[in-house]
Amino acid sequence: MSDLVTLTIDGVEVSVPKGTLVADAAKKIQIDIPVFCYHPKLEPVGMCRVCLVEIGLPMRDRATGELLKNEDGSPKLSFRGLQTGCTVAVSEGMAVRTASQPVKEARGAVLEFLLSSHPLDCPVCDKGGECPLQNLTMAHGKGTSRMAFNDKLKIAKHVPLGELIYLDRERCIQCARCIRFQEEIVDDPVIRFHNRGRSLEIVTMSEPGFDSYWSGNTTDICPVGALTTSDFRFGARPWELTPAASICPHCPVGCNTTMSTRREAISGGRKVIKRIMPRQNEAVNEIWICDKGRFVHHFADSAQRLTTPLIRKDGQLVEASWDEALDLVAGQLQKHKSAAAGLASGRLSNEDLFQFQKLFRKGLGSRNIDLANRQLGGGEIVAQVGVGSGTNLKDLGKGDAILVVASDLHEEAPLWWMRVKQAAERGVSLVLVNGRRTRLDKFAAHTVNYEPGQGLMTIRRLFGLAQVETESTRDDQLAAAAEKLIKAENLVAFYGSEGLTFDESDALAKLLGNLLLIKNGHNHTGRANNGLIPVWPHSNSQGAWDMGIHPAYGPGYAALETPGLGAAQIYAGAASGDIEALYVVGADPVGDGLMADRGKLSFLVVQELFLTETAALADVVLPAQSWAEREGTYTNGERRVQRYYPAIPAYGDSRPDWQILAQVGERAGLEKPAFAASLMFKEIAKAVTQYKHMDYRSLAQVEKQWPDVGGDDLYYGGNAYENGSGLGQQWMAAAESGAVERFEAPDIEPNSFESLPLIQTRALYASGTLTNISKVIEARLVSPTLTVSPADAARLELSDGDVVDVAVNGASVQAKLSVSKYATVGLAQLSGVGSGFVSGTAAAEFNRVVESEKELA
Amino acid sequence: MIAEKYAEEIKGIIARFPNKKSAVLPLMHLAQHEYGYMSQEAMREVAEILDLDPTQVLSLSGFYSLYYEEPVGKYVMEICNDLACALRGADQFVDMACRKLDTTVDATTEDGLFTIKTVMCLGACDRAPMLQCNLKFEENLDEGKFDQLLARLREEAVSEQKSPSIVEKIVAYAK
Repeated sequence: MSDLVTLTIDGVEVSVPKGTLVADAAKKIQIDIPVFCYHPKLEPVGMCRVCLVEIGLPMRDRATGELLKNEDGSPKLSFRGLQTGCTVAVSEGMAVRTASQPVKEARGAVLEFLLSSHPLDCPVCDKGGECPLQNLTMAHGKGTSRMAFNDKLKIAKHVPLGELIYLDRERCIQCARCIRFQEEIVDDPVIRFHNRGRSLEIVTMSEPGFDSYWSGNTTDICPVGALTTSDFRFGARPWELTPAASICPHCPVGCNTTMSTRREAISGGRKVIKRIMPRQNEAVNEIWICDKGRFVHHFADSAQRLTTPLIRKDGQLVEASWDEALDLVAGQLQKHKSAAAGLASGRLSNEDLFQFQKLFRKGLGSRNIDLANRQLGGGEIVAQVGVGSGTNLKDLGKGDAILVVASDLHEEAPLWWMRVKQAAERGVSLVLVNGRRTRLDKFAAHTVNYEPGQGLMTIRRLFGLAQVETESTRDDQLAAAAEKLIKAENLVAFYGSEGLTFDESDALAKLLGNLLLIKNGHNHTGRANNGLIPVWPHSNSQGAWDMGIHPAYGPGYAALETPGLGAAQIYAGAASGDIEALYVVGADPVGDGLMADRGKLSFLVVQELFLTETAALADVVLPAQSWAEREGTYTNGERRVQRYYPAIPAYGDSRPDWQILAQVGERAGLEKPAFAASLMFKEIAKAVTQYKHMDYRSLAQVEKQWPDVGGDDLYYGGNAYENGSGLGQQWMAAAESGAVERFEAPDIEPNSFESLPLIQTRALYASGTLTNISKVIEARLVSPTLTVSPADAARLELSDGDVVDVAVNGASVQAKLSVSKYATVGLAQLSGVGSGFVSGTAAAEFNRVVESEKELA
Repeated sequence: MIAEKYAEEIKGIIARFPNKKSAVLPLMHLAQHEYGYMSQEAMREVAEILDLDPTQVLSLSGFYSLYYEEPVGKYVMEICNDLACALRGADQFVDMACRKLDTTVDATTEDGLFTIKTVMCLGACDRAPMLQCNLKFEENLDEGKFDQLLARLREEAVSEQKSPSIVEKIVAYAK
């Protein structure tokens, strides 16, 4: 093959793709060329020089151009001193020496130089034990130093770059990996070098300091202990930690993570999570996670957790035994049977959700189950035209297109934002159809910002334009975008529900399904790297659809002949008395403002981690285990089913959700509960056709991934965990095995507004039951904020910093006004309030409550 | 705010680059001229104009020796004391200059007029001792010539508050 280049490294012949760097080529055949500044996910810079190797190139006769040969017939090579293996690309016939005397001397010299201003405080350093500098010094260092100890730099060792990341200036070896990551990978250039030479240091001027959702990743790729998180800093030594594979429970991306745990005296002898780090899965999160995934885990070990079942006696919730509580719940539910209803959340595992619907449908004969807060529609569309199995956003490139509609990926699913951004940089045509500016705009080929309330109509127009053969009229962004999309070889469409009502989001999914189904050269459904990706609100909203947590669908999208009641009807029924008993699992409808009180319910049971507002009103409260204490599976927005494993022991007497539900079920006449989550999953695989090829063993399968950064080498230590616990399996969308019909998308009248319309936007650090407990991100939690453009602020006669009363449909909330030149004119955005406060794009009233202090001063 | 005061100039400078952020160095010179040094506020202003993070501006001002992060006098005298200049008496010249102005290296005289700094090679070794005063070279110096220079600058300082020619230079530089 012509795009392969053959070279020899230390006498071993290897063929690698053209353009491969010498350091990577060596890594492929397990020959180690040590590196500090180089990282396979970053552009090479050749700054640290530790990868110096001898590189020889075949010599040619100047006159004839023939290759020169030695007497023994081997090609004559010309070695020209030492070169950096991380910046030189391979070429045909190249010979590399990685262990010759000059190389060893150079390597030793670089290490000696780096150590000349290094504190060697390894015994107290967080990185000690998984530190590339420590490892390489042990392997290649000289063992002696010419360092003049009186000249050792004594500089600041505890520099907070914001409250999440600390810099130890003495340990920094100035490789710039952190700076390059922030600039190249995540476009947040908020840390930089300052000054030169021995005065060089890493600085930030953003407000708050190191203002980025990605800051924790820099501590992973830091090859020394210069950057540490305030969460893990001085928390434990790496060799004391026990790793447990997990899946991030915060968003639909499903990042693979590893929880590092330790049993320790300061936590009262309990085993606790000390840190969360990425676990490599090149098809999902590569080797990165966002800071929410890294830092929001303290809820699992919070003293506020429920520890025992509670039963209401004489108006008070009092501790009870499991048997007493389960008997009571089963008895009450059986009493009300079809007048019982169940509400669950998309945070629960597939095992929990399957058991939940089984309890209601089989155990009680009630069809009234739903998600407590269904914000985004289209699950049944995704089941047909969702992205094909084998999809990996990393495979998209020139000639392909990505469409993002009504979603701010940076806030809702940060890893998807990063991967879409990188795809755009590789040449993918990115088309954005949103109601406002988002962080993706600067990478987009076409950005269409529709008028408030016109989102669905805009997609309808886009679909219309895509259907006809158009030579795009350049002045119409939408027509140009339609042409790009339809002509793309591969097309992935993300959709969310920002500014849309549930019904609108449902219609949106159908329209996008139809767009993907247009046959015009390339097939955009039923293949890998083509199809829909819903930006669900929770980590397992997809699983909730798959398991049949829906009044109209059973497991595996089996349509029910007579649907049960949906969440809205259940809330109404609770108020009116039509619903007599309600079982709420992992959701807080009262706290979220979906349900005012317990209404006329005669029985309310809540299964939770915490005593939420809903739980406080319940007759029985059942303590569930958090995701860190138990096994389970989540299905991400790309329909990848992924396993997570127990990391810490159960908190108090809490039990896994599926087990509690099965124990209630047993008392309500169902069979004995399965004794392991894996057996629950076997039951799922039987009932849900899409899951039939899966079991806990297949989900745990792994294969070798590239780049190889989690392995045993001495220089990518502490980067990310190697994935030894499962890459997950994507289930096949219907379009992959047969033809799919077009969808009937209902017509929904677009809204028009006389005054400034309002939408609710999602914030990564929205405050909530789980996020509030992680003190480390407390300062970054978003308080209620109303964002408007300067023009709109002037029209409303409001100024930056005012406290404004925002009234929508009879409800109101107080929010701080932020006037931003980046805000879209003619639209007010509300963030940091409970989900579901504003439905779709709504008319609102804004009244100043407190005048800005800035004006008073 | 330089954004308002020099709106036209800034527009002109930005227009000369294919990418807006490339205008950062001339705008930093402009800000430094306006405020006397690169204060944190000045950095934020430049960043705001060019859609950069202020950290990026801070990094540049730290890298280049002609941006001052601390307040300096009206006239900054950067005396080269690198090897070649040192051989021609640069160190003694620095001592003399400090004594004469009753100040130390990197400090500013009480009247706010002069700051003496020592710098690496300015490329005029054959004419040492030499210094660069507000970007202008003064060469083949001795005590007498230094006295004349001080007298001239003190006179200039009284007659006009700020030389607009630097703004012109900055605009011209970007051409």
